[in-house]
Amino acid sequence: MNRARENDRVSTIGPMLAIARNTFREAARNKILYSLLFFAVLLILSAVALGELSLNEEARMIRDVGLFGIDIFSVLIAIFVGVNLLYKELDLKTVYTILPKPIARWEFVLGKWLGMLMTLGIQIAVMGAVLALIMLAQGGHPDAAVAKAVWLLFVNVTIVTSVALLFSSFSSPFLSGFFSLGVFVVGRSVPDLRQLGARAGGGVARVIDVAASVLPNLHLYYPSGTIVGAERVTVHAQFVSANYLVWTTLYGLGYSVAVLSLAMFIFRRRDFV
Amino acid sequence: MTAVSQQTPNPEVVLRAVGLAKTFRLGFFRKRVEAVKDVSFDVHRGEIFGFLGPNGAGKTTTLKMLMGLIFPSRGRAEVLGLPVPRLAAKRRVGYLPESPYFYDYLTPEEFLDFIGALCDVPSAERRRRADRLIARVGLDHARGRPLRKFSKGMLQRIGIAQALMGDPELVILDEPMTGLDPIGRKEVRDLIVELHAEGRTIFFSTHILPDVEMICDRVAIVVGGAIRNVGPLGALLSARLLSTEVVLQPPPGAPLALPPGTHQHTGTDGLRLDLPEGADVDGFLGTALAAGARVLSVSPRRESLEDLFVREARRPAGDKQT
Repeated sequence: MNRARENDRVSTIGPMLAIARNTFREAARNKILYSLLFFAVLLILSAVALGELSLNEEARMIRDVGLFGIDIFSVLIAIFVGVNLLYKELDLKTVYTILPKPIARWEFVLGKWLGMLMTLGIQIAVMGAVLALIMLAQGGHPDAAVAKAVWLLFVNVTIVTSVALLFSSFSSPFLSGFFSLGVFVVGRSVPDLRQLGARAGGGVARVIDVAASVLPNLHLYYPSGTIVGAERVTVHAQFVSANYLVWTTLYGLGYSVAVLSLAMFIFRRRDFV
Repeated sequence: MTAVSQQTPNPEVVLRAVGLAKTFRLGFFRKRVEAVKDVSFDVHRGEIFGFLGPNGAGKTTTLKMLMGLIFPSRGRAEVLGLPVPRLAAKRRVGYLPESPYFYDYLTPEEFLDFIGALCDVPSAERRRRADRLIARVGLDHARGRPLRKFSKGMLQRIGIAQALMGDPELVILDEPMTGLDPIGRKEVRDLIVELHAEGRTIFFSTHILPDVEMICDRVAIVVGGAIRNVGPLGALLSARLLSTEVVLQPPPGAPLALPPGTHQHTGTDGLRLDLPEGADVDGFLGTALAAGARVLSVSPRRESLEDLFVREARRPAGDKQT
């Protein structure tokens, strides 16, 4: 029997969107996510207190700590939910009810991913809004730089979610979480990794170079303090250009599509015993 | 496998398994386990087909192969004339998995609406169908309750409702009566008969034999991963007399002379005798009446589905049918 052939209809996106909506609804009814969101907002609020401690740097402190909070908590939520996306469906056997319906396996995976992005998009928007409100309350003005930074963090979790979903297609949540966190940490350090390789030279450099090419360069999405286009990037002053934004968004989408394709390939060949 | 001639000439086949087999590789050493060895059968349009077998016979694995959840190691399956797992076929089939688990944060209405959306049913029609099906499976009282608060029987009912959301022409149910109380079992049985009366084809697996005897047109018996018997129930069951049960009040005084091989025990209503196949029942009854016994009942016992099932389950693989 053909392992893959099931797409013989004029595809409608209705069933896939139904999966996405249901994934979003599941997350929206998950109390743990609200707890994480609460702590994220708490961290952003703590930026006010930290700002008080820094002389003449209140506004910068609020932005930096606020964006750090959005970054960390959005990644935590992406990994926490992402590693369970497919595993839970298999573990609870809900997949036995869903896959016999007229939906292809790849549509199911894509629907789960879209639902997860809807969830993360709303969560990041809420956290960004809280940050903007705090900045306004402190007499500052949330500008385009902050909006761009928040957008980059969303693209960042798009990649992290795809990676978590890939691991979730064949591994337990614990291992998937461990690997996804590893990919995030190493992915954030890609420039340092390349520097390390350049210093080491020889075979080590080549290995590191390959690893840095295969892993997602997540540093692109939190570039504060590094040199981009011969300029030192800071969140609070001259932020990345529109071109940078477009390029990193395309890179994020491309990487996500590649990882998702691999997840779909694994998922469509699985036996659901 | 015993071939039994079909009742209807050239009936339309809506579900076909041809030499289906599945071998799993389990554990660290990838040990081979043959869950299904050789399963072939046809299900015809408009019939109720029972797929029988003891626990571990390979029923659920076979059903999962038919639904595209498991890929067979050998053989092929066709649903509504299309190879599994084609979406065009899935659109016309409703399936209830064994011991179903659903998204427990949803209410029945939300769940059926979600399933309807998966089946590409338009929004207004989804609401109508969900309403109708919730009432039909007797869950009106629990419309607003999340599924996590449902009992096993209620989950089974909502499971049947979701299988019908796409208005399928072929309904496949994996152990639909398991875990239900006698009333629940009867309700499911009645529902199957109703669905059949609406023109749908029903294929269900079970090991609860009385249900099969009551409603199935044809059955297949699977034992040890292979089909042992398939055909109309009447043709599979032997017509021969297995024994005759006689209940009587014995005469006072000398005991009755019983035919050789007769089992007896005393019940509340009298002496219960089980006369073996070939015993001279008429002669025995004449003697008993002449001696002053009072005969309360005489019941010939022919082969039941249970007898056939036990016979097939005990027959070693490869043995000719007796």
